[in-house]
Amino acid sequence: MMQMGERRVGERHRVSTRRLRRFGALASIVRLFFAERGWALTAGIALAIVTLLAGLGLLGTAGWFITATAIAGLSTATALAFDIFAPSAVIRLMALLRTAGRYGERLVTHDAALGVLAGLRETLFRGWAAPEAAGRLADRPSRLLFRLTLDIDALDSLYLRVLVPVAAAAAVAGGLILAIALIDTRTALIFAALLLGAGIGVPLIALRTARRPARRRAHALEVLRARAVDLLAGQTELAMAGRLSAHRESLSAADARLVDADNALNRVDTYAGAGFTAASGVLLAVMLVLVASLAGDGRITAPIGALVLMVALAAFEPFAALRRGMIEMERALIAAARLAPRLTPAPTPRRAPAPGPGVAVELVGVSLGHGGAGHGGASHGGAPVLRGLDLTLHAGERLAVIGASGAGKSTLLAALAGEIAPLAGHLATRPATLLTQRTELFQDSLAGNLRLARPEASEGELRAALAKAGLDALVAALPAGMDSRLGEGGLGLSGGQGRRLALARLILRNAPVWLLDEPTDGLDGATARAVMAQLGSCADDRTLVLATHLRREAEIADTLVLLADGRLHTLARRGEPAFDALLDGLRPD
Amino acid sequence: MPASRALPAPALRMRALRARPADAVRRAERTGLMLQLAAPLIWIPQAGLLAHAVGAIAAGASADAALMPALGIALLGFLRAGCDAAGARLSFRAARAELSRLRAEATRALAARSPLDLDRPASGLAASVLAEQAEAVVPYLARFRPARMKASLLPLVLLAFVLPISWLAGIILLVTAPLIPLFMALIGLQAKAASEAQLVEMGSMNGFLLDRLRGLATIRGLGAVDATARRLRADAESLRTRTMAVLRIAFLSSAVLELFAAVGVALVAAYIGLFLLGMLDVGATGQPFGLAGGLFMLLLAPTFYEPLRELAAAWHDRAAGQAAIEALERLAAPGETLPGQTLLGADDAPHTDTAFAAPAVRVEGLGFRHGAGAAVFDGFDLTVAPGEHVALFAPSGAGKSTLIALIAGLAAPQAGRVLIDGEALTPASAARLRARMAYIGQKPHIFAGTLARNVALGRPRVDHAAVRAALQAARLDAVAARRGPAPVGEAGRGLSGGEALRLALARLAATPEAGLILADEPTAHLDATTAQEVTEGLLVLAQGRTLIIATHDPALAARMDRVVTLAAEDRP
Repeated sequence: MMQMGERRVGERHRVSTRRLRRFGALASIVRLFFAERGWALTAGIALAIVTLLAGLGLLGTAGWFITATAIAGLSTATALAFDIFAPSAVIRLMALLRTAGRYGERLVTHDAALGVLAGLRETLFRGWAAPEAAGRLADRPSRLLFRLTLDIDALDSLYLRVLVPVAAAAAVAGGLILAIALIDTRTALIFAALLLGAGIGVPLIALRTARRPARRRAHALEVLRARAVDLLAGQTELAMAGRLSAHRESLSAADARLVDADNALNRVDTYAGAGFTAASGVLLAVMLVLVASLAGDGRITAPIGALVLMVALAAFEPFAALRRGMIEMERALIAAARLAPRLTPAPTPRRAPAPGPGVAVELVGVSLGHGGAGHGGASHGGAPVLRGLDLTLHAGERLAVIGASGAGKSTLLAALAGEIAPLAGHLATRPATLLTQRTELFQDSLAGNLRLARPEASEGELRAALAKAGLDALVAALPAGMDSRLGEGGLGLSGGQGRRLALARLILRNAPVWLLDEPTDGLDGATARAVMAQLGSCADDRTLVLATHLRREAEIADTLVLLADGRLHTLARRGEPAFDALLDGLRPD
Repeated sequence: MPASRALPAPALRMRALRARPADAVRRAERTGLMLQLAAPLIWIPQAGLLAHAVGAIAAGASADAALMPALGIALLGFLRAGCDAAGARLSFRAARAELSRLRAEATRALAARSPLDLDRPASGLAASVLAEQAEAVVPYLARFRPARMKASLLPLVLLAFVLPISWLAGIILLVTAPLIPLFMALIGLQAKAASEAQLVEMGSMNGFLLDRLRGLATIRGLGAVDATARRLRADAESLRTRTMAVLRIAFLSSAVLELFAAVGVALVAAYIGLFLLGMLDVGATGQPFGLAGGLFMLLLAPTFYEPLRELAAAWHDRAAGQAAIEALERLAAPGETLPGQTLLGADDAPHTDTAFAAPAVRVEGLGFRHGAGAAVFDGFDLTVAPGEHVALFAPSGAGKSTLIALIAGLAAPQAGRVLIDGEALTPASAARLRARMAYIGQKPHIFAGTLARNVALGRPRVDHAAVRAALQAARLDAVAARRGPAPVGEAGRGLSGGEALRLALARLAATPEAGLILADEPTAHLDATTAQEVTEGLLVLAQGRTLIIATHDPALAARMDRVVTLAAEDRP
C-alpha cells in the first residue's frame, strides 16, 4: 500500500516534470517567435484587441442609441434636444474600425506567422546540419522526416490560434469588467465570475480532454501512413505471403482508430462550442436580471442598461476563437517538444589540423567511434569501431580502404571528412571533400545543383566542370540547358550520369583530398569502369581515399588497406604480392 | 479469361451492401443539417424576450418583470446549444464515414493493382493522399455544406420576422446582403487562382526542406550548409512576400463582408433611432414600432449576416476538400490487375499445414508488354523440372525480373501461360498457386514493425518459435537480439542491404510449405562476403525445392543446376 502510494507520487512527479519540460519547449519556441518578429507579433495582438472592442462598441452604442432615442422620442421637446450626431458618428466609426481592424489584424498576424516560420526553417536546418546529424537523418525513414514538416506546420497554430486569441480575450475581458465596474461593482464581479469562469473553464477543459485524442490522432495518422507505404512498397511480399487482404484490413483498422480519435476531438470541439453558447445565454439572462434591478433602483438609466446587455450578448466572442487553438494545442506541444532540441545552432565543424609538407593525411594511434551523445542506436554503445590506426598518405597518393561491411570504412571516411572527431590519437588532414555513396540530386536547376559546391562559380566554370566530368554532351542535349530542373519531379539522370554530376561537383569544390564512398555502387560494369576512368583522370594529382568492396574501384589505388577486427589489418602497396592477393579477394563486378 | 468475367454477381452484391449504410449516413446527414439550421433560429425568441424586457425596463416596470424573460433566455440558450451540438455531431459523423469509405475504396483498388503496373502511384505520394491530404475531406463535408445551407435559408427566415415590423429595416438588410456575395465573388475570383498556386508553393516549401535534409550528407560533404540555410531563408521570405500579396486580396473579400455587415447594423441602428425619435416617420409596416420592436430588429441584424461570414470562413475548406476527394478517387481508379486479387479482396490464400512438393514449372509462349509499350517477351518458353535449380542469367534490363514476377502471378501476361505442376496460373488459381511459392526480391521491403513481425508478416501459422528458428537460419538472430522489440522499416531505423536480404531469407525459412522459390537478383548491391553468405543461405533453404533465380552474378549462377541465358537481343 505504502509502496503503491509512493509509486503514484513518483509517477505524478514524473508526469509533472514532463509537463514542465513540454511547456519549457513551448516557451523556447515562443521566445524564438518574438526574437524573430516581436514587433509584428505584438502589433497583431493589438489589432485583434482593437477589432474585438470595436465590434462590442458597435453593438453597445447601437443598443444605447435606440433605447435613448425611444425614451427621448416620448416627448417632442426631448426629441428635438437629442444629439443624434455624436452617437451615430461613434457607430459609424466603430463599424469602420472593426472592418479595418480585422483586415489589418489578419494581414499582420499572417505576415508575422509566415516570417516566423521562415526563420524557424532556417534555424532548424542549421540545427539539423550538425556533424553526424546527417548520418542520423539518413538512418531515419522518410516518415520521421515527413513528421518534421508536419511539426513545423503545427507550430503555425501556436501564434495564430493560441497566442493571439488568448492575449486578445484576456485584454478585452479585462476591459469589459473594468467598464462595468465603473457602473456597479457587484454587477461587475458577477459578470467577471461568469465570463471568466466559462471563458477560462471551457477552454481549459477542452485542452485537457483533447490531449489524449490529439496524441492518439497524431499517432494513428502516422500508422495509417506507414501502412499505406507498406501496402504499395511491400505489395509483392504481401501478395506472395497471401497477406494482401489482411494488410488492407489493418489499414482499415488504423482508419478506425483514427475515426475514434477524430470523433473524440470533434466531441470536445462541439461541446466546447455548446458550452460557450449555453454560458452566453446564462450570462445574458443573469445580466438582464441585474440590469433590471439596477434600473429599478434608479442607479442606471435604461440606455446604459441596454448598452451593458448588448455588451454581455457578445462578451464570449473573444473566447470562442480559443476553441480551435485549445484543440490544436496538444499537437503544437508535441511539435515544440520535438523541435526545441534542434533550435540550438550546431557547433561550427571542427577542422582537423593540417599535416606537414608533402603529407595529405596523417593518423597516429587514432581510435574512432560514434560515441557522440544523442546517437539513437544501442548498437555502437560508444565503443570504438576502429583502434590504433597509424597511416600516412603523401600528397597525390591513392588509397583504397576495404573490409567487410561494418568493418569501419565509412567511419574512417567520416573522420577524415571532419564529421566525427577521433576518440583518441592524432588526426591531421588537408581539406577534404566527401563524395557520398548516393548521388543526391536536389530539386533545383542543374546550375543550382552544381553551385552547391561553389556558390560563386560562373556559368563558364560550371560548364568546364561538366565537360571534365564527361557530361557536356548531355547538357548540350537538354532543351533548358543549365536551367533544367533536377531531382524529384524533375529530370531523372541515369546512375552513370548522376555519378558524373557528383564528380563535377567535386571538381568545382577543388579540395586537395577526395574521399570517395563506393563511388560506382549500383552501376553496371561498363558504366562503372567509364566513371572510374573519368574520376581517375579528373583527380589529377589530388589525394584519393576510396571505401570500396569492388575490384574495379580498388584498382585505381596505389595502396590498399584492409580493415578487420577493429583495426588496420593489412596495408599493401602496388607491386607487393599482398596487394594482388587483396585485389583478388574483392568482388569482380 | 472466363474466370474474371464471372465477377458481376459478387460485384453487384457488394454495391448492394454498400448502399445500405450510405442511406443511413445520408439520413443522419439530413437530420444534422436540419438541427444546425434550427439552432440559430432559436435566437429569434431569445432576441424577442430580451427586447421585450429592455422595453419594460425603459417603461419603468418593476425588476421582477425581467425574471421570466431571463429564465426564458437562459433555457432557450441551452436548447440552442444542444441543437447546434447535436447537428454538428451528426454532420461530422456523416462526413467522417464518407472519408472512411473513400479511403477504403482507394486501398482496395491499390491492393488489387499489379505491382508491375507502371502507372501505379509511388508509395510516398499514395501515402500522403491517403493519410494527410484525405483529412481535408471532413471539414469540407461537415462544415461547408451546413454553412452553404444556412447562408441560403437563414437570412430569408430572419427577414420574415423583420418585415412585419418595418419594411424599411428589411430593405436595408435586403440591399446590403446580396451585395456581399457579389463583391466577394468579384474579389474572390481574382484571388482564387493566385491563392491556389500559392498553396502549392507552400507545400513545395516543405518539400524543399525535406529534399535538403535528405541530402544533408552531400551538403555537408560540399561544405554548403551555410549557403543552403541562407537559401532556405531567402526562399521562405520571398514566398512570404508573394503569399501576402495574394492574402491582401483574399482578405479584402472578407473585409467587404465585414464592412457590409457592420454598415448594415449601423444603418439599421441609425434608422431605428431616427424613427423612435420621430424624426423619420416612414418604414413601419403596420403600427409604428416602439423600443421593443426596434431593439428586436437590431438584435436580429448581426445574425442576418452571420451565416454569410460562416460560409466565407468555410470557403477555403471547399477547395482543399474537393481536391482531396478527387485525389482519393484517382487512387481508387482501377489499373492493371493483380491476378487473384479482385476488388472484393477476400482472396488471400487459405492457410494450410501441408507442405507442397517441389513443383515443375512450365512457361509456354509467354508474351508481355507494359501497357502499350514494347514487348518485354514474345513467345518465351521455359521448362523447369521439380527440384531443379535454374538461373535466368542476363544483364540488367533484359526482363528477367519481369519473368520472375509473371511466374509468381503478379501480373497477367498478354500471351502464353505459366503452368505450376501442370495447372495454369489464372486469376482464379493465382492465390492458391502463390501459396506454394516463396519470393525473394533484390530489395526486400521492410515493413513498419519489429524484426519478428517482418518475418511472420502476420501469417497465423508462423508462431514465435518459427520466427526464432527462421531468424537463426538466416543468421539474423544476433541482429534481432541487438534490436529487440525496436521497430524497423518506416517506423524505425533501417536495415543494411545485407541485413535486408537476410530478412528475406528468414521469411523464406518461415515458409517451409512453399515448394517453389523465386529469387530476383538476391545478391545485387552486396559486398563479396555478404553475397557469398546469402548465396549459401539460399542454397541450404532451397534443398529439395524448385529454385528459379534471376541474376547477373556469375558466382551465384555457377551454383545452379542449369543456367538459362536471356540475351538482351531477345527484346525487340
